[in-house]
Amino acid sequence: MASLLRTISCGLRNGLAQNSGILSATRRLKHTEPAVTEETRPTVRKFNAVQRAHFVDFGKYVAECLPKYVQKVQLTSGDELEILIAPEGVLPVLQFLKDHHQAQFVNLVDIAGMDVPSREYRFEIIYNILSLRYNSRIRVKTYTDELSPIDSCNEIFKAANWYEREIWDMYGVFFANHPDLRRILTDYGFEGHPQRRDFPLTGFVELRYDDEKKRVVCEPLELAQEFRKFELEAPWKQFPNFRKANPATEEVDTKKTESK
Amino acid sequence: MASTPAKRIIQQVRPILSVDRDEAKRRVLSLYKAWFRTIPFILHKFDIPKNEEQCRAKLREEFLKNKDVTDVRVIDMLVIKGQMELKEVTMQWKQKGHVMNYWKETVEPKPQDFLSKFLSGN
Repeated sequence: MASLLRTISCGLRNGLAQNSGILSATRRLKHTEPAVTEETRPTVRKFNAVQRAHFVDFGKYVAECLPKYVQKVQLTSGDELEILIAPEGVLPVLQFLKDHHQAQFVNLVDIAGMDVPSREYRFEIIYNILSLRYNSRIRVKTYTDELSPIDSCNEIFKAANWYEREIWDMYGVFFANHPDLRRILTDYGFEGHPQRRDFPLTGFVELRYDDEKKRVVCEPLELAQEFRKFELEAPWKQFPNFRKANPATEEVDTKKTESK
Repeated sequence: MASTPAKRIIQQVRPILSVDRDEAKRRVLSLYKAWFRTIPFILHKFDIPKNEEQCRAKLREEFLKNKDVTDVRVIDMLVIKGQMELKEVTMQWKQKGHVMNYWKETVEPKPQDFLSKFLSGN
């Protein structure tokens, strides 16, 4: 019992000491990342340099362990780790991150989707996972298109059940081996997937109560085309100070350099 | 130029359910049969002013809407959506209005000739 308590308190201390616990196994990797200049601007979020260094090491470690699936490792906003993987590697990578003793990402916080119609694989599926043990969060990103199924990670994270139904409903990405894939947010009989970029803001149909039929009827909706002109440029682009801001993502070099 | 090997134009993709067209066709037919056999139960469960012949005609029409689809994966996706819809009907998650929406009785056909377009204001 005492040893258990010691372990817990040790874990707590590690958590308080800003992730010093995560991946002590990767400490032996030589830390070659150049020192990042400290952020002094008051309106820009300051990131934790220690955490960033740990994430860089962890990203390299994951890329080394799973070279078949990990295509890229990157950092966003200074200290948020993203692991970009091939779609066939969803299950092995998530299982690895969940079961590895030095990672323990046992919580699936959310599954998000993203649609960029100009890409070859237009959808991005983003898994946000959390390690309570080491107090850290990372993202795992993969890609697909309208017709390529992705493996359901329901067997690994039970929380994925509804999240994957949501992705299916909003984007129309099919999850293979999902136990109960059906709509979750839209109404029965709804056609189309609302979060796709080519879905109009107004939708395709409108519903109204019909007094003659004594029920709600569904009719196709037509609005003038002017309603579909969008300003796609981000509103802060016009402020010149933001043009020379830090890059949104920084790639972590995962090439093996110490093979000599 | 003739010695250059022919380029592979067929893309290797991951199948959704079926690996070839025969299998896809079988799935479509079994879905059609399942819907066909459900029609009496639909009429029993939902208070809709239709009879079996009208329902069968509508079912046939809905399937024939996609008769020109040739991509196996698109067929699979349509079959999956059809199965989900069948489940929504048989479990009575859908209500009377949702079922009746297949007929689109209140939708007025778009004007085709000049005079009716003029009169409708377009």
